[in-house]
Amino acid sequence: MQIESQERDDVLLKRSAKGDEEAFTLLYRRNQAQIYRFALRMTGRAWAAEEIVQDVFMTLVREPKKFDPTRGPLAAFLYGIARNRVMKHLERQPREFSLEYRSGDNGTSEIEVPDERTPAHWAELHERRDCVRAAVLSLPLEFRETVVLCELEEMSYEEAATVLQCPVGTVRSRLHRSRALLLAKLEMLRNAPKRANAGY
Amino acid sequence: MNCEEFVNSGLASAAAAEPETAAAREHLRTCPECAALYERLLELRGELRELGKATTQAATPSRVEMRLRQEFRTRHKTDKNRDRAVVAGWMLAATTMVLAAGSMVVWQQRQGNHMNPTPAPVSVSAVANGPELGGTLIAASDDEQFALIPGALPGLQDETSVVRVQMQRGALGALGLSVNDEQASDIVQVDLLLDTDGQPQAYRLAESTD
Repeated sequence: MQIESQERDDVLLKRSAKGDEEAFTLLYRRNQAQIYRFALRMTGRAWAAEEIVQDVFMTLVREPKKFDPTRGPLAAFLYGIARNRVMKHLERQPREFSLEYRSGDNGTSEIEVPDERTPAHWAELHERRDCVRAAVLSLPLEFRETVVLCELEEMSYEEAATVLQCPVGTVRSRLHRSRALLLAKLEMLRNAPKRANAGY
Repeated sequence: MNCEEFVNSGLASAAAAEPETAAAREHLRTCPECAALYERLLELRGELRELGKATTQAATPSRVEMRLRQEFRTRHKTDKNRDRAVVAGWMLAATTMVLAAGSMVVWQQRQGNHMNPTPAPVSVSAVANGPELGGTLIAASDDEQFALIPGALPGLQDETSVVRVQMQRGALGALGLSVNDEQASDIVQVDLLLDTDGQPQAYRLAESTD
């Protein structure tokens, strides 16, 4: 059966629930990347993100009736499952940051765009990016997911509110707090090497 | 606008390159600390955007799709098998019910036959007086007609047997029949209809051997 590329997610899900593998594959390909990026940015680990994506879509295979189209789009439902899995993953993990998903690791995460900048410039850029990543990963969960959705995924406040199942005002205030926290953390992270060097 | 107000309102609306309100912009010009904070915030937003772009192309490895599709196939194959098993189960149950109902009907019919028997193998005629047995007993002209022996139940069972015996007419008295004493010594052939217990239920006179 030929499937229209614009077919709605809930229609595809119904077909998938009846055993239409093509519908399921299309549904997966349409939604996997955003869920993977969310999980990757939340956990900082490519293997964890892979596991989370698999869990999310496995839930869709096993319990498609859990999705209620009247409560929101399928993407929000998938984000909801992913958030739960991320929380479980973070509860299991020791409190440390992983810089695993920087360029080249596992060949999955970053696409490097070559330009004419010098190696020193690149090194500085990487260092700054690592600092920002570490600062994001050190945020409390509710602030971290707000930053990931609004700043990294560039969702609107309304979209983020749908995913996070909270009012738009809450998203706004969390983002405001997150920025203040990030500034403080970055200050701390960037000054740490200087303080360490000053000690010698 | 003071610094606290600027932090509360200005940072929240830091999406633009400049604060949205005139009061915030005015505060920025007059307060170097808030201006520095604002600069750092814009820098942070730029860095976050860079970080976002760095992972924009990130996607799940293809092995996950393969695993999921395999799971999908397995699951739906199992579901189909389960559906078939359910259908087969229901069909079996329905067949059993039909058989049970059929058996019940047959059983009830048999019960009814026992209550109101019809003499299938032979027919029994009423006792009538006749000249051959001294005006007391007479066999029906039809060979298959039997007369009930007094005291025998009118119902005949399905499984009966006919036995031909030769006896003195007087011996019929033992079966409860009245016999003319003058002919008691005559030898007669009698067909006896026996039930499953071997008890005579009816008789007919085959022929007289006199």
